[in-house]
Amino acid sequence: MALKTRQVRRPPQPLNGSRRTKFQADLAPAEDRIVRGLKQELQLNSNTDFLSDALALFHWAVAERRRGHRIFSETQTGERKELVLPRLERVAPELSLPRVEISWTARELESLATLVTSEPAHPTETLLRAMRG
Amino acid sequence: MAVLIRRLEEQDEVELFNCGDEPLNNYLRRHAWVNQQKSSIGVTYVAVEETAPHTVLGYFTLATSSVPRNAFPKKYVRGLPAYDLPLILLARLAVDRRFSRKGLGSALLSEALKVAVQVAGEVGCRGIIADVYRERIDWYARYGFVVLEGSAPSGPQRMFLDIRTVRMALK
Repeated sequence: MALKTRQVRRPPQPLNGSRRTKFQADLAPAEDRIVRGLKQELQLNSNTDFLSDALALFHWAVAERRRGHRIFSETQTGERKELVLPRLERVAPELSLPRVEISWTARELESLATLVTSEPAHPTETLLRAMRG
Repeated sequence: MAVLIRRLEEQDEVELFNCGDEPLNNYLRRHAWVNQQKSSIGVTYVAVEETAPHTVLGYFTLATSSVPRNAFPKKYVRGLPAYDLPLILLARLAVDRRFSRKGLGSALLSEALKVAVQVAGEVGCRGIIADVYRERIDWYARYGFVVLEGSAPSGPQRMFLDIRTVRMALK
């Protein structure tokens, strides 16, 4: 079932007159149940409010990880679990990769120069599947 | 099997990792952590299963590099940007034998390329370089890696994948 912000009450227009963006997502039935459950538990009346809160949380998580902070939950007994999401890990500053020197033959450099001064190749089917899968 | 790919951690179990290639096994067991934390030579990402979160099933190692503009043959320099050419080196990629032919290599390469795109967005990168075993050339070529002519015939084959091609694949 789709999560459609178009179906919810129209929020008041911002005073500065900037346009609001519509957001529509196709959710699997299980995800839809989670959304409904969370809305009920958090007493959120609309999909817009739900998205707004989810966005704030995601925005906070990305900002924390970008600063190099790690995100944990902690039980009352002090037991900790770290939140690790591949997408969040990619924004972490420790992502910065170290630099190494590579030796090149003249022929390799010629071959590389030819490639980087040409139009890029279109992605292969295998690459498309790997990157979009 | 739910697999997570993340950076190598000190407590990860690497001693039993066996991809069938001793230099690749040895790198993970002996050098990957030191190179990542102390020497800052390469960053290693590992694939682990949710049910055994420290048992390494596969890994890849990345580093950055660049080619000085004046290293290129003179006839090509004019067509190149007026700076050194930034690259990402896919230094190693290996999958434990127990998990081979299950798509883990593809998942690791996909994650490596996503990291490369992220790094390219932060600090710039023109492409990904890999020195691959000759029997693996076809596998990398399926993902669009192109053979760079001029590698020593007895050693690994250097291959290149343009970051613009990877970006196109993500759109």
